[in-house]
Amino acid sequence: MVEGREATRQAARWLAGLAAAERRRLGLAVVAGGLATLATLGQLALLARFVDALLADGRPPAELLLPALGMLALLALRALALFTQETLGQAASLRLRTRVRSALLDHLARLGPAWLGARHSASLASQLVEQVEALDGYIARFRPQLVLAVIQPLMVLATVIWLDWLAALFLLLSAPLIPLFMALVGMGAERLNREQFAAVARLSGHFIDRVRAVTTLQLFGRTRAATAEVHAAADDYRRRSLRTLRLAFLSSAVLEFFASVAIAVVAIYVGFGLLGYVDFGPAPQLTLFSGLLVLLLAPEFFQPLRSLAQHYHDRAAALGAARELAVLFEAEPAAVRGETPVDAVSQGGLMELAAATVTHPGRGRVLGPLDLRLAPGAVMAVTGPSGAGKSTLLQLLAGFVGPGEGSRRPGEGVRIAWMDQRPLLIQGSLADNLRLAAPAADDAALSRALARAGLGELLAGLPAGLDTPLGERGAGLSGGQAQRLALARVFLSDASLVLLDEPTASLDADTQARVAEALAALAGEGRCLVIATHQPALMALADRRLALRDGVPEAIP
Amino acid sequence: MRHRGERAPGPLATLRPWLRLLARRRGRLAAGAALMALTLLSAIGLLALSGWFITASALTGALLAAGMAASLDVYVPGGGIRLFAVTRTVSRYLERLYNHDTVLRLLADLRARLFAVIAGLDAQALMRHRASDWLNRLTADIDTLDALFLRLLAPAGVALLAILGLVGLLAAWAPPVGLALGLLLLAGWLWLTLGQARLGLAAGRRQGADREALRGRLIEQLQGLAELETYGSLGHHRREVEALEARFYRDQRRLGAWVALGNALVTLLVGTALVLALWLAARAWAAGELSGPLAVMMPLAALAMSEALAGLPAAFTWLGATWGAAERLNGLAERSRPAAEAARGEEAPAGALGVALERVSLTYPGALAPALDDVSLHLAPGERLALCGASGAGKSSVAALVLRQLAPSGGRIRLGGVALADWPEAALRRRVAALTQRVDLLDDSLAANLRLARPDATEGELWAALAWVDLDAWAESLPQGLATRVGEGGRRLSGGQARRLALARLHLLEPDLVLLDEPFAGLDADTVARLAPRLDAWLAGRAVIYLVHQLTGGPFDPPGVDRALRLEEGRLGGYT
Repeated sequence: MVEGREATRQAARWLAGLAAAERRRLGLAVVAGGLATLATLGQLALLARFVDALLADGRPPAELLLPALGMLALLALRALALFTQETLGQAASLRLRTRVRSALLDHLARLGPAWLGARHSASLASQLVEQVEALDGYIARFRPQLVLAVIQPLMVLATVIWLDWLAALFLLLSAPLIPLFMALVGMGAERLNREQFAAVARLSGHFIDRVRAVTTLQLFGRTRAATAEVHAAADDYRRRSLRTLRLAFLSSAVLEFFASVAIAVVAIYVGFGLLGYVDFGPAPQLTLFSGLLVLLLAPEFFQPLRSLAQHYHDRAAALGAARELAVLFEAEPAAVRGETPVDAVSQGGLMELAAATVTHPGRGRVLGPLDLRLAPGAVMAVTGPSGAGKSTLLQLLAGFVGPGEGSRRPGEGVRIAWMDQRPLLIQGSLADNLRLAAPAADDAALSRALARAGLGELLAGLPAGLDTPLGERGAGLSGGQAQRLALARVFLSDASLVLLDEPTASLDADTQARVAEALAALAGEGRCLVIATHQPALMALADRRLALRDGVPEAIP
Repeated sequence: MRHRGERAPGPLATLRPWLRLLARRRGRLAAGAALMALTLLSAIGLLALSGWFITASALTGALLAAGMAASLDVYVPGGGIRLFAVTRTVSRYLERLYNHDTVLRLLADLRARLFAVIAGLDAQALMRHRASDWLNRLTADIDTLDALFLRLLAPAGVALLAILGLVGLLAAWAPPVGLALGLLLLAGWLWLTLGQARLGLAAGRRQGADREALRGRLIEQLQGLAELETYGSLGHHRREVEALEARFYRDQRRLGAWVALGNALVTLLVGTALVLALWLAARAWAAGELSGPLAVMMPLAALAMSEALAGLPAAFTWLGATWGAAERLNGLAERSRPAAEAARGEEAPAGALGVALERVSLTYPGALAPALDDVSLHLAPGERLALCGASGAGKSSVAALVLRQLAPSGGRIRLGGVALADWPEAALRRRVAALTQRVDLLDDSLAANLRLARPDATEGELWAALAWVDLDAWAESLPQGLATRVGEGGRRLSGGQARRLALARLHLLEPDLVLLDEPFAGLDADTVARLAPRLDAWLAGRAVIYLVHQLTGGPFDPPGVDRALRLEEGRLGGYT
């Protein structure tokens, strides 16, 4: 709990620091808000003056055209100021969200594929979308309103003091309560948010659980009963959350109550004062003008606070998001990468490892020390039980992780290609997917690469050819086809060192054989292949074998 | 996905099913709106009556000061002011509570409806959508639709009521003031609702799709970082993400500007109404048609209208987002299972069921190659057929077709001599059972998971089923016995226990055709040796299709295979 509070404080600091970057826009938004209040004050003063002149002085309406026009002019100013305040807040929010997302992407690129490999991409992506979006209301509305909630009541109060200090006292009496209101509202909103969140998570859990099992429910003919259950769970959630809401809404009701009562008290005080029933203080000096204006200003005194209360859930949402984003920003790469200088260039080889090790924080050394020299045209199979360090070796060769000790020396101008069990398929055409490896390749080169990877037959059968769109995340391709598409990318690239991490693990025997054929063709082009695999068909391609156990080479029997 | 050429139904047509769902609770909705109206009325009354009282006091005070006889009943207006101050607070509190209750009830309705839609989806849609991000998207859409009443319908309706009430009240004293204000405020109301909705419709509707496109690109970038980095195309892909984000934000900026415009218009509208009411009331007063306090009350009542109109621009400018959410959810309903609309045909006579697939083909939408290509197979009643093949060869597609979770793209399927499409849903589910590759367990008790198969099974029958798979001793050792919860997705059970529980579930049924996908996957050799003869006995007299990678001739082979067929890339390869 204390830890949670500390995390919330940290998140609040992070958010404040973020907002500081848009100080100018947000500052101008506050200025615009202040200007709107000035216009309101002027407009209400003119209204009171108009009524006073009309009723108390008995002037005909025709002589009062000027204050009426003045009100309209101030009205236009106020509308303009409010528009400016809102658009400035929004502009600041859009810029900050772009900046945060960009910083997160930079950070994730720095953490690298090795770090990302152990994470769930979809939930990370939803952090990048939803949690960054959750910052919107806080920056655009809550931040400026936080300042305005102090400035605007003070402006109103100053006017009321000038008009009638006793009426101002009634408003001021509630002023010491204002921080209390804010705390009350804040506590209510935060607690509400927290409890709602937990309850919603439970409810979503139930819903998702039923959706996951929907095939089974269909097969047992139980979908109708399950639907009733989903309804019952949601209804149960309703009953429980209403209990919290009853309390949570009380805090804002208190604010509403004070605002209403203050208006009523001011109205009755002013009325009795005007009737001459109050002899105390400034009451005898009350006029229709000052009395009416005081009444009109009373709601304006509370309005900024009510707006702040409305935006309080924006703050709670942003704080929740900030806490999780901070965790992401603090993540460290699994092993140092990119920071170790390239010691020397491998002479004549594609890549050299000299007594290289990889150390993961918390897991200790997972690879090495290892010496390795890769020459053009070599095919090396890396074998070993899972957890032996096969993938780490490939990641080290690719530069996704750096050597803790020893060195990694890439050859001059060496180009690397990577392929694992889950090839990247982007939404776009077949050609878009291939050109990831070679943006400038022409169509003939793309067709050639597909043919070499064993997809020539598939291409020939497609009416739209290379322009055939692939669905989201490669929908429409079978696992083997996706794998061969990734191979076609390797053919298309000019990579001299090809790293393959269990490229055929999820394929059936026939498809494996076809991929193996294509890999043999790659090797035939003089490229160096490093293949982490269990499968005999791929091992048969290799002219070298590196068997790893616990991160170190094992003597090959 | 809808093609560009087709015309999408308008927002109203899209929202109609959801509005109908709302209408089922119309009593509560009306009561909630009435509470909103009461709150608003109190706010208007508080300010207007206070203005009237102060003016009346000032005028009376002036007469008194001039030594003239005058009196003002201060108790009725004073009491009114206090009453409005209290009702405003109380009704606001009750309104929030009551309407949140309503909204949560609506949420329950919406979720149940959505679940019913999902329960009607075919196997392909489910396979594609199982990802958790899809579920998050669904719940987000539901939450968006949830705004329909509380943010759109109720405030617009209450604002309209307030305008009409105000106009009626003013017209009672000064018809020209009422008429002028009525025209102005009604025109304003139309703009703030329909006009703002029209402005933001297209951009708001795009938001959902753009957000998903952005998410999709981000997933690509995170999943494929290794390839993007080694091929040096990360920068290129990153620019695509940025372009998508820019488009997403261009619309947001546009929507935000329109909301700000609408809010500024509310200020202008209310302010203009105030000046207009003041001016007309002043002239009516000068003409002796209206008392001074009433003349002041009128502009103040107009001023209080800002509370009624304040929420409209933001809600209606974003109507497009609600439309988009409804569109996506409606689109889901279009993909329901072949015979979810319970076919009312005949069922085959009792006894083991034969299966006949005649030249069946199946192509998933968007797939580059068919999943099944011209597959014909016959299973005699009582026969046990093993369908072998690698994953992706088409075994699961055959199973989904026979279980009527998918409709074939071509060819015919008969079950027990009756066209599969004609089978009544209930009879089909009673007489055909399946053990799927993935065991689905609910986050519920052991008993509840077993009773999925037969809701009326007695405890004794449940224990017998557990004994059949040798889980009875284990279940007895649990402190809570049959009431033990299995955890999310059966997490508290081992893979082998989950598999056996699924077999026990099957044993509670009396099916005439059984499909078993790798029945012994994840079980150890001893358990298989004990279970295989029991399964063999239980399957006697039923028709059976086994789905297996390959038959090895070893102890893990399913019992009593009469015949084996091999599937390769969607084609039947013949006997093995």
